[in-house]
Formats: sequence, structure tokens, C-alpha cells
Amino acid sequence: MSQHYRFPPASAYALNRCLFLLKSDDAFRDRYVADPDGATAAMGLAAEEAAALRSADRDALVARGAHPYLVFMAALRLTMARGGADIEYF
Amino acid sequence: MLVAAFALAHTPQLIARPATEDRDLVLRVHAAFARVKRRLAELTPDVLAVVAGDHVEAFFLSGVPALAVYAGREAAGTFGRYRYRYPIHEPLARAVVEQGIERGFDLLYTQDAPLDYAFFVPLHFAMPEPAVPIVPLHVNVYLPPQPTPRRCYDWGRALGDILAARPERVALVASGGMSHYPGTERYASPDFEWDRHTLDRLREGRGRELASLTGEELDKAGNVELRTWITLLGAVGDARADVYCYEPSWHHGNAVVEWRL
Repeated sequence: MSQHYRFPPASAYALNRCLFLLKSDDAFRDRYVADPDGATAAMGLAAEEAAALRSADRDALVARGAHPYLVFMAALRLTMARGGADIEYF
Repeated sequence: MLVAAFALAHTPQLIARPATEDRDLVLRVHAAFARVKRRLAELTPDVLAVVAGDHVEAFFLSGVPALAVYAGREAAGTFGRYRYRYPIHEPLARAVVEQGIERGFDLLYTQDAPLDYAFFVPLHFAMPEPAVPIVPLHVNVYLPPQPTPRRCYDWGRALGDILAARPERVALVASGGMSHYPGTERYASPDFEWDRHTLDRLREGRGRELASLTGEELDKAGNVELRTWITLLGAVGDARADVYCYEPSWHHGNAVVEWRL
């Protein structure tokens, strides 16, 4: 069995969908930046999932079935959206 | 006919560089991309067939194809501030779908799925001028269960046969690799030794050996994306690799390679 990337369990559907939108949907990402609790509640996340997302707790998110790549890129896109990264574009 | 074959890294830090990334390293990889662009200009392809693994962008919760072909009029996507759009070479895309299925590969085809940055980054740096149309070919690399390396190699062999019989001059481009572990606890410790050993084998024209790897071995080595290279290897056979660069960063083995046909 693969160590790093695993089958996304159905139990993590809402969490993975939320991470996908943070990665790829500008409107949802903006909404999350403005109101994380409201955005995650609307996505149907469990309280523990919302808390793990807010604290960027990768291990907790992955343990609940989040796809590691989504955790990685959602966090990067949030950093970019918050203007927290000095980026050189080519 | 198949006139060229390349593999290019596509890590997003090559296009949007945060302060964590060594600027000189990024520029050295860019120089290798520029070499590919010059070679493509010499080789005058009519179309670029790009094999890349979607990064959980186009294919995820609503459907996860092992192998897919973009067969619409154009393919478009976004990444951060980038907005990109490429015309698709529809006759070739359609031939790949029809003949691929005829040969026993159950391909998904799409006319409007978004195009992931794994396709965009190599094209951003290496598309010759004037630009030519593309055929995007997706291989599932990130969502288990992925196609086996053997299946990727066999698909590449069929793809090579299909391209060989076509009137267009086709350049095949594999996007991705080498070792990296995005989102995992191993992110800061890629397996550069595995990469170098693999590049040695490719320089010797022993690409077919990669078809015998297991999915677990690729996952362990941080090389799930090498399925795109293995697909290409099926098409180029025992051609020898010319490694333009191998630049290991703190999280990624960046390689740019040409197979001389």
C-alpha cells in the first residue's frame, strides 16, 4: 500500500471538497479568509476538521482522510491570498 | 510521426518563486527549459502531445480517470495570477482517443475539463514560437489506485504506434518528476539518490526497466509523477536520454531531459 498518497475515504468527502475549493475556487477562498467558521460550517465540516484546518494541522487533516496534496496547495494558496508570501513571477 | 521527446519538471516554484527557493537554481532550470524551446524550434513539430498528471484539479470528486485525453477545441486553466488557454489539435486528439480505445485502452475524453498547471508550466517556458496546438494527455498520478507503471508503459507504446502512423510532426512532452513529496512529512527530504540512479539508467537507454517498478516503489521514492515519463518511455523505446539538467532543491529533484530519436 502506498505510504504517502492514499485513496480518499468517503468519510472525508466534505473535508476534501473544502480543501479543493480553497485550492481552486477564488470566491470560496476569499470567503474563508473573511469568515473561516462560516465557510467551513457551510461546507459541513466537523468541528475537529474546522479546527485542524484553522491551525493548519497537516497531520490531523491527513489522519481524517484529507489528501496531502490538497492540504499542501490549499495552505499555499491561502498564504498567497493573505499576501503573506513575497513571490517572484516568471 | 514522432519527432521529439522531452521530460520537464513543473514544480510551481519555478514559475512563482517564494523567498524559500534558491533563485540561481530556478534560473538554471529555466535555462534548460530555454534549451528545450530552441530544440523544439529546430525540430518544427506541428503539435505538442503533453503527458501530465492532473493535480487534483480537473479530476477528483466527480470522477477519477486513470488515463484521459483532452479532445475539445481548446484547453484552459488558471494558476494563481496566471490565465492560460491553448488550442487543441483536434484531429490528432480524436485519433488518439479512437485508436487508443481500439487498442484496448479505456480512455476518458473531455471537451471542457480545466487544464492543470502540470500542463501549463512546461508550455509556459518551452512552447516554440510561433506556438503550435497541443494534445493534453492525463495520467492519474496522485489519487490511488493509480495505473500501474506497466500499464503506463503499455499505453505509451500504443500511443507511440498511433503517433508514428500520423501525418503530423509530433513532439511528446512528459511533465513532472522527479522526487518530491508534496503535503507529506517527507517534503524536505526527497530521494535524490533514487533519481540519479534512474537518470543513469535512462542515459543508457534502459527506460523499459522502469515498466517493472511497482506503484509502491514510485510512492516510496517520491516519484508518483514518473508515470508520465514511463508513458513517454513506452513511446520512445530504448532511445538514450540526454539529461539537460538535474537540480535538486530542498524539496524537489528538478530534471529536464531529451530522448534523441
